[in-house]
Amino acid sequence: MHVGDLLPVWRIDSVDPANMRELAGVLRDPNPIHLDAAAVQRLGLGDRVINQGPANLAYIVNMLSAALPGAVLLQLDARFLANVLGADAVEAGGRVVSVEADAAGTRIGCEIWLNVADRGAAVAGGAMLLLASPRPRVNP
Amino acid sequence: MDNAQPPQIAGRTLPGGEYRITADENRRLCEALYTTPNPDGTAHAIYAYIATQSGMGVSVDGLLALCEFDAADGPMLGSSNTQYLQPIRTDVTYRIGGEVLALTRKSSKKLGTIDILEYRLSMDSPSGERIVDITNTWILPRRAAK
Repeated sequence: MHVGDLLPVWRIDSVDPANMRELAGVLRDPNPIHLDAAAVQRLGLGDRVINQGPANLAYIVNMLSAALPGAVLLQLDARFLANVLGADAVEAGGRVVSVEADAAGTRIGCEIWLNVADRGAAVAGGAMLLLASPRPRVNP
Repeated sequence: MDNAQPPQIAGRTLPGGEYRITADENRRLCEALYTTPNPDGTAHAIYAYIATQSGMGVSVDGLLALCEFDAADGPMLGSSNTQYLQPIRTDVTYRIGGEVLALTRKSSKKLGTIDILEYRLSMDSPSGERIVDITNTWILPRRAAK
């Protein structure tokens, strides 16, 4: 792992409104903009349901977990820049910006993002992860 | 309201509460997020946001009402900064606390007059160990303010 390395992208070809309905239950968030395209239209926000902001951030967490298996997430900073809509294709990605070793292991700093096809960034920010050092062997 | 300044609510303590992530809820969340649960009993890391937000003892609408802002006026989540001090686990009842850090009026080229609400939430284990610190901001367009 080196500064400048790109992390493997994590994609959803089409964000499914059915998943938004399931998330609304878990999040206890009855906001109709996640459930009903007609409600979105009435509010003048377009004609497709709008994905929950935490879900957009969670896609980035999924990308980090896949790219750095076994790493522990220490810090996650995100700015929410735009909405993700039902049926959007999204791609989470990242780039290594720092690699520092200490007694606990290797700390990896990353620039992170979630991009929507044809519209650009929906979320941008940074993350710090720790890859723990292997435990030293104890002689019998 | 007096539109010159937003309500002075910096330092206001939120009621707080508890939040328990069941293994079944974590499984449903992971499925809705196109992933699978961790086999080691840790919850999806996005629960740092979900659990603190749900357990802070006031709804988002209620939090916005403290700012004298109507949720129907289109609040926008601006940012979220999370420090993970320990893994978040399923089937543990966490204690949530929080406070308002600032409510600041600004001018935006795109949105006109806006207020930025900044608040900090924490998640502690039953033994009092800090698990998560999170600071969120919301952007509140003040359509009537000058």
